[in-house]
Amino acid sequence: MKIPTALRLWPAVLLLVATTSAGAAFTAGGAAYTKRYKTILLAEPSPQAKPAGELAFAQKVRIEQVQGNWLRVSGDSADGWVFRGSLSENKPAEGKGFDGIPLLASNTTATAAARPLTPAADDYSQRRNLGNARDDLNWMIKECGAIAPEEVEAFMQEHKKGEYQ
Amino acid sequence: MSTRSILVLALALSAGLSVRAFDLSGLTRALGNNSDRITKGIDTAKDIGKVAKGVAGIGPEEEKAIGDSVALEIIGKYGGLVRDEEIMRRVNLVGRSLAAFSDRPDLTWRFAVLNSDTLNGFSAPAGYVFITRGLYDLVSSDDALAGVLAHEIAHITEKHALNIVAKGDALAAATSQVVKRSGDLRALDSQLQQFDLGVGKVTKTLFETGYPPKTEFSADHLAHDLARVTGYAPGGLRGVLSELQDSGTSPDKIFSTHPPLKDRIRRLPDEPATTAAQ
Repeated sequence: MKIPTALRLWPAVLLLVATTSAGAAFTAGGAAYTKRYKTILLAEPSPQAKPAGELAFAQKVRIEQVQGNWLRVSGDSADGWVFRGSLSENKPAEGKGFDGIPLLASNTTATAAARPLTPAADDYSQRRNLGNARDDLNWMIKECGAIAPEEVEAFMQEHKKGEYQ
Repeated sequence: MSTRSILVLALALSAGLSVRAFDLSGLTRALGNNSDRITKGIDTAKDIGKVAKGVAGIGPEEEKAIGDSVALEIIGKYGGLVRDEEIMRRVNLVGRSLAAFSDRPDLTWRFAVLNSDTLNGFSAPAGYVFITRGLYDLVSSDDALAGVLAHEIAHITEKHALNIVAKGDALAAATSQVVKRSGDLRALDSQLQQFDLGVGKVTKTLFETGYPPKTEFSADHLAHDLARVTGYAPGGLRGVLSELQDSGTSPDKIFSTHPPLKDRIRRLPDEPATTAAQ
């Protein structure tokens, strides 16, 4: 049986859709979505520029202008410049789970980075005799929590990554 | 109090009825006049009500429980962690600079090196990324390290592992804690078995079968794009894969759960493996 061309190409189309987010080719007149709990828009296309407003998670914005890695966007509540890596081509989904707390809100607090193992995983380590692994994982959580967001920002600035390119 | 009584209470509460609307003294008599068990039952019912709200998908709490448990299995299988603060700092700074521009920038991202001389990388839901010491020693430049970490980041942002886990298996993580408090050992055992089954599905994929090739190719492309937008050389990952292919190392020691290196290299653009800055 001969498979129609459209059907044969469908897997390739799906792969393309799945792989276009971080490398999205944003163009003026197009649309994009915020993907952070809070996205700061700037007055100029520079990380040193003053804040011009902020947008909440999964907000649709119109791309007004593209200048290198920077996009001038307008949303319902604010407009300004944003680094292209801070937006997504597809609208992100926000999950809510057992405790009813949205993922973003539960992970953006200062204590989230240093959260201990979940009780379910702690029980799991006992059932599976993974005591040494649990000690290692607790050490990893502590070490990772000790690296402050400001240090990551300073690293990016020094090595010209993200907005600092 | 029986499990059935707990479930009746849960249904009543999740239907929106306030506990205060009940005649608690009557309820106490009806349930055997055991105030401790009633209190426990009301707590349990409230919690089950919360679980019911999350049935629409695997939420953040379930993802953390599954992710923590999968991370334990990875660490347990690959010789524990390399407890070196300098290495930890490097992989976390490079990793978090990438993750900041991924499709899940607000996850709690954590990176570490496994004490194994094999050459492989792993990820677990909720933001855990691991590479082996053998692979870490090979990736001398930040561009190469970024390529490898970005591939694992892509597995997490695309929820490749979570897609293997059934919703019921993930919810069992939360439900088991609720049932544990209720003291119903049979129900607890059932929930734990279901949770372990969910974790087992992920670890079987990670350690034995691997993800389907098209999933790995998709993660490679996302890694390439993420490295480029963050400012790392987009050819960093391809450079590592090419170096491994040319090294003559036994195939069973190199990305043994991934598609053949030549297939991955062929699908990635031939671009510079290092940035001018390095």
